[in-house]
Parts: sequence; structure tokens; C-alpha cells
Amino acid sequence: MYTYNIPYGYLYTRTENHVMTGQVGPTRFNVDRLSQRSRRPIAAVTLLGLPAMYAWSSIWRSTSVPVIVWGPVSFLLIGLTIAGGFVLYRFVRHRAELARPDLDERQRQLRDHAYVASYGVLATVVVALVGTVAVIVMVFGHPIVLDGELVSAIGICIGTLIPLLPMAALAWVEPDPLSDDA
Amino acid sequence: MAGRPERAETTTYNRLAVLRTERGLSRQDLARALAVNYQTIGYLERGEYNPSLELALRIAEQFGLPVEAIFSRQPFVPMSEQLYADRARTEMTR
Repeated sequence: MYTYNIPYGYLYTRTENHVMTGQVGPTRFNVDRLSQRSRRPIAAVTLLGLPAMYAWSSIWRSTSVPVIVWGPVSFLLIGLTIAGGFVLYRFVRHRAELARPDLDERQRQLRDHAYVASYGVLATVVVALVGTVAVIVMVFGHPIVLDGELVSAIGICIGTLIPLLPMAALAWVEPDPLSDDA
Repeated sequence: MAGRPERAETTTYNRLAVLRTERGLSRQDLARALAVNYQTIGYLERGEYNPSLELALRIAEQFGLPVEAIFSRQPFVPMSEQLYADRARTEMTR
């Protein structure tokens, strides 16, 4: 099979015994056609950006290093979550919603798989956090003080990342889209 | 002592691509007729998605063929090979 571009936005595909024309899709950058290989790092960065921003800021806030030095990195990290969230939403659109009667059985299966994966990730994170806190308090005897800042950081992370989790999981599990002419 | 049950082989082969091309249908056309996403047709054709019984029956109905003519748990013999084998068998019986 030979594939080559011709002018006026059409893709010409010549197969052994017939010729088909169609509008160019794969040659333009299209979020809908992002490969799984590209989507997985985007999903990971989206989920990790915000907690990483809080972790990064908490390291530097107690030091005398001026904000101008570490602040841009914090903005970059939060920007990764925001930008990644937009890309994931553009890719997934409404396919991650539970009440979508227009999804076919394969799409519903993928969505359900994504939700199961999301709950798995969430459960793992919660168990890891509770386990870590339990070890710090019970084994090492260090008290953990939950101040307002920490509680608000946890609250914002949970409030932002839980709605993003099914989208990220769907972007993670969805196989590569097939080309229209394959 | 009863051992663990063997894991069932889940590969399903199909002739969807051949039948669709034979009838001059695009993936979009077939997807529209079956009320599924056109990507689903692609995944079915490549054997990367196994349809539910309901969808398999709808596909069979769409092509006017029995479901076992479209889906099989064994690889299909290419249609050309089957056609010429049938022809040769007919000639031999004459």
C-alpha cells in the first residue's frame, strides 16, 4: 500500500486494486489521534503535577531562598496539571462519563476498565498514605501535625485529581486509534 | 484432587473485513448500520476486540449470514482457497 499527500487537504491512498480519497486526518496534529505512547506520560504528568507543586513549594517555603528562584518551578508544575487536564479532556471528551447512552459496547467496556483502574490507583494511594502515616506515628513515634495548609493542600489535590483520574485512566488504557484507511 | 480449570482460549477470528470490502462498505457505513463507533469496526476486524453475542448477531443479520460464517474460534481458510477447493472437488465428482 502506498500513501502520499496531494494538495488541497486530501490524503490519497492507493491500494493494490482500488483508490480511495479522504480528508486528511493523521497528517495534522490531532488530539483525538494521540498515540497511547504519548498519552501515558501526559496522564502521569497531569496527575503528579499538582502534588509535586505542593511538595516542591513546601521544601522551599521554610528556607530563606527567595520565591523568584523556586516559584517558576511551582508554576510550571501546576501548569503541567492544568495543560495535561485540558489535553486529556480534549482526548477523552465525554467518553469517561458514566451516564452516556451513546457509547457502544467497546467504549463502555473501556470506560468501565478505566474506572476500575482509577479505583485501584486511588485505593493504592490511600493505603500507602495511611500506611506511611501509621509507620511514622506508631513505629517511629513522631507526631504528625495536620495544619491548615497541609489540609487545604490535600483537599485541593483530592478535589482536582479525583475528577481527573477516570479521564487519565481512560487515556492510559485506550489503545492506539486505527487510521481511517487501514 | 481437582486441578485449576484451564484458561479458556479467547481468540475469535472473523471475516468482517472481507465481507465489508466485498459489499463495498466503508467502516463508517458499517458502523452506522450497526450503531457502533467506526473504530470499533476496525478493532473487530483486527481481532483486537471480541464482540458481545448481541453485536455478533447484529453483524450476522446485517450481512445476511449465519454467525458461524463470520466468527469462528478457529482461523478461517482464505475464501479464495475455499472457493477453488470446492471447485476442484465438484470437478472431481463429475
